[in-house]
Amino acid sequence: MSSVPHARPARRQPARARAYTVFRFCAIGVVVVTILGPLLWMILAALKDNVDIFNSSRIFSFAPTLKNFVTVFAEESFLDFIVNSLLVGAVSTVISLAVALPASYSISRFVMRRSKTFVLVARIMPAVSLLVPWYFLFSRMGIVGSYTVLVITHMFVSVPLMIYILVGFFDGLPLELEESGQVDGLTPIGAFLRISVPLSMPGVATACILAFIFSWNNFLFALVLASNSTRTLPLSLYNFVRYASVDWGGLMAASVVITTPIIVIALFLQRYIVAGLAAGATKG
Amino acid sequence: MAVRTTFGSTPGSAWINEHRKWVLAAPALVFVGALVVIPIIYTVVLSLTDARGSILSEFSFIGLENYAAVLSDTARFWPAAWRTFAYTTVALSLQMSLGLAIALLLRRPFRGQGIVRVIILLPVVATPVAVGMMWQLILEPNIGVANHLLESIGLPRGSFLGSQSTALVTLAIIDAWQWTPMVTLILLAGLSTLPEEPDEAARVDGATAWQRFRFVTFPLLRPTFFAALALRAVDALKSFDVLYAIKGPGGGSYHEAETLNIYAYSLNFSHNNYGIAATVLTLFVALTLALVTLLIFRRKEVRP
Amino acid sequence: MKRQTRFRNVAVAVSVAVLTAGVVGCSSGGGGSNRTLQVYMGNHGFTEQVQANIEAFEESTGIDVEISVYGEEQLSDQYTVQLNAGSDDIDVMMFRPLQEARLYWENGWLEDLEPHASTATDWDLSDFQPGPIDALTFDGALTSIPVSTERAVLYYRADLLAEQGIAVPTTFEELADAAAAIEAAHDDVVGYVARGNAHGAVPIFSAFLYSHGGDWVDAEGNAALDTPEAIAAYETYGGLLRDYGPSSGLADIQWDSAMALFTQGKAAFYIDADSLATNAIDPSSSTIVDSVAFAPLPAGPAGSRTFNIPNYALGISAYSSAKDEAWAFIEYFTSKESTKQFQLNAIPGARVSVWLDDEALAGFPPTLAAAIAESLDGVGRDRPAVARASEAREIVGRPLLTVLEAGDTAAAAQEANRAFQQLLDEVQD
Repeated sequence: MSSVPHARPARRQPARARAYTVFRFCAIGVVVVTILGPLLWMILAALKDNVDIFNSSRIFSFAPTLKNFVTVFAEESFLDFIVNSLLVGAVSTVISLAVALPASYSISRFVMRRSKTFVLVARIMPAVSLLVPWYFLFSRMGIVGSYTVLVITHMFVSVPLMIYILVGFFDGLPLELEESGQVDGLTPIGAFLRISVPLSMPGVATACILAFIFSWNNFLFALVLASNSTRTLPLSLYNFVRYASVDWGGLMAASVVITTPIIVIALFLQRYIVAGLAAGATKG
Repeated sequence: MAVRTTFGSTPGSAWINEHRKWVLAAPALVFVGALVVIPIIYTVVLSLTDARGSILSEFSFIGLENYAAVLSDTARFWPAAWRTFAYTTVALSLQMSLGLAIALLLRRPFRGQGIVRVIILLPVVATPVAVGMMWQLILEPNIGVANHLLESIGLPRGSFLGSQSTALVTLAIIDAWQWTPMVTLILLAGLSTLPEEPDEAARVDGATAWQRFRFVTFPLLRPTFFAALALRAVDALKSFDVLYAIKGPGGGSYHEAETLNIYAYSLNFSHNNYGIAATVLTLFVALTLALVTLLIFRRKEVRP
Repeated sequence: MKRQTRFRNVAVAVSVAVLTAGVVGCSSGGGGSNRTLQVYMGNHGFTEQVQANIEAFEESTGIDVEISVYGEEQLSDQYTVQLNAGSDDIDVMMFRPLQEARLYWENGWLEDLEPHASTATDWDLSDFQPGPIDALTFDGALTSIPVSTERAVLYYRADLLAEQGIAVPTTFEELADAAAAIEAAHDDVVGYVARGNAHGAVPIFSAFLYSHGGDWVDAEGNAALDTPEAIAAYETYGGLLRDYGPSSGLADIQWDSAMALFTQGKAAFYIDADSLATNAIDPSSSTIVDSVAFAPLPAGPAGSRTFNIPNYALGISAYSSAKDEAWAFIEYFTSKESTKQFQLNAIPGARVSVWLDDEALAGFPPTLAAAIAESLDGVGRDRPAVARASEAREIVGRPLLTVLEAGDTAAAAQEANRAFQQLLDEVQD
């Protein structure tokens, strides 16, 4: 990792450490710029007229306008989309958790390898192969275009994801705690509910946050299965792609609006995400 | 597993506790099963027919004719398969190596590390469709910001998404931009659980940083590394949103961005050729399963 | 422990609230009590006009309307998925007739509008331009009503031409000379730009094809891409772009990139559909509002023959359970009054009487109105008229890429002709 060649042992630590620190800060700086750069540009573009967006020499010197955001909220009734995304995200996350949490516990404690593999296989299926038969089934059931069908399909993505995270988490939870609970008089299920579940809160937090984020960003299912009144946010981006023009400013503004809530969530809850990934990754 | 053998007051609760293994797991398994098994069966059945146009119109079974046609299709299928492989390989190599490097960079505490952690989360949580459109605008050869910046520092302009030869690699790089932070976070978490003693011992013994990494850190990190690799491999193979947003259903003029997933989508929705689409999808899923199984076995091999 | 208990209580409360909302949402999202007319439309100026006038329609007919607007590709996806399952959720469908009418008709998804149209005497079917109507009639059945038309026109920079003292080109040779002259005089301006990606360029290319005396098929219905006329047309289209266009990335130029280049003042000439003109004359997206002008398509050996096609049409889903109401909607928004009103808002309609009405041309800039007026007598299709239109489009567009790379055009045309003939044979059965 270090590019500084060997020096004599007596003087090695200080010079080397200093060089490494400088290198480290530069490298981290490069990473931060690479990530923030395009995103900041997107925000700037959202504040520009279309004319200015295409004029690269005016990256920073332009007359800012809120017109694009007005378009997004006023003309494209974005609030409806936001409500839909929130609703579908929240409901699918909650129900997914109710289903995935007990299952993850079981798979972990009873080392149900085949079940675990089965669930992982579900993650591998490409969405395209599912869409047409799903539509067929759901339209027979009469629920296409409703929130129900969106929740169900989003759950299909969330449940395996949650199981993946939570199984790893439970694997890392020592058995002694539950066993001592049973010594104290709890049934196995009681031990699960009163001891394992509360202890799994960090993992639950991660699983829920990630599931919600992926539901929020989901594009393909809503594209095919949502109706006009239940459409979610990513779909709305295509409202700006018109037959005779592409409203890039509006599109960038809409992108900013779509990603902002998630960024706020990430800001406040990043601890859970990181902590949960630990449990899932090291044992999963 | 239970210490007690007599359970709760009601007979129902006794039964539940006795069979808790399946009671707890059943809802998830049934749900996933129902939503997966039926489409799989439907897809495989369709791949044996000549269904096209309208599903409600008649179709007949033609056995493995579709498979013969697809597997001998050197114009669209095999290039798409090759592209899927190329795209996934480039994207994964970048993500895993950069992800690891950045994780090692961020490992030791430093000032401002909280902010940096949030910053690197951003691409992961951004909506893929929006990311795709953002990059499309930035990389536009004639009026985009990227070429403007390259010119201003004296580098040659690039055609990025605009040229047949560079489009797929550019798309893989965009994928890496979005998902490297996720690899970093997973590996960081893995690194934080590693015991410190072996590393300290090696340092005392006079090992260089590189030696410590190669013989102490990485072997311990391997399970996590492969977990992240398997995770990302599956997702990279299935990449859709960004490719669709930038190149549209056909994968571009020369189909330069047409991976198997995009190809299947266009067969389904543009050409309405359900039989062939189902065939491509069946083959694609089989390929993915094979690859993932390989990765899982590899990981099991090296586990201590 | 306390924090975890609190967390749990909050989680439970949120879940209950959310589930309740979900249940309520389900029942309301699934369908109203009163039968509302479901109209699916694409992102187009026509749609905006309909939305602006929908209340007048609802009041005068008492029909409740719900309009769902989608992007072009997404709209097609919706139809594919919904109509495949025989859903009755769609009543009125707006679609791209040249891309989809035949496919949808052969799938049995469209209602024959002939009975409705022939009995609507005031509405007057004969007032529609014959080209578009012919394009939408299969086996005697009228599949849809055209609502908006477009032709290929020449966009140009009047200021750059005046500077060089060049007259507006009327033939492709004159265009090439003018483009060369302007490009030589300006470092940052290319002489010419047009769509370069094979798929998108096909419609515009068709105008070149017709102007060179070629066509997609010959009189017997066989592929005609390897005729001398077709090869010459490929060479002209690709050659202009290759010789006077941007220096790189040609094969990926979609219309919005080409338009952006032109509206940023970086190209002198641009050939594309007149329906896109709003981009060039809108101050918020164009820097050349004051210097852009329009002219009819330059002439090839066979004259100036553009296409005049319906880019969108309205049809009724065969699975709809409200077909009479659906027809009322279509009749209202394609009537003479509506068409005229929409035309004043720069939506070029498909009715003859409205075009001949001077008042109705007031919605367009003068040079554009003049260019359009001279192009009305166009060919009714801008791409091969087969059911597998998407595939056909890909095949016939490929030789363009060869020309852009200065390859062997004749060989590419022959290869495309072979593939096209094969597709035609397959579609026969």
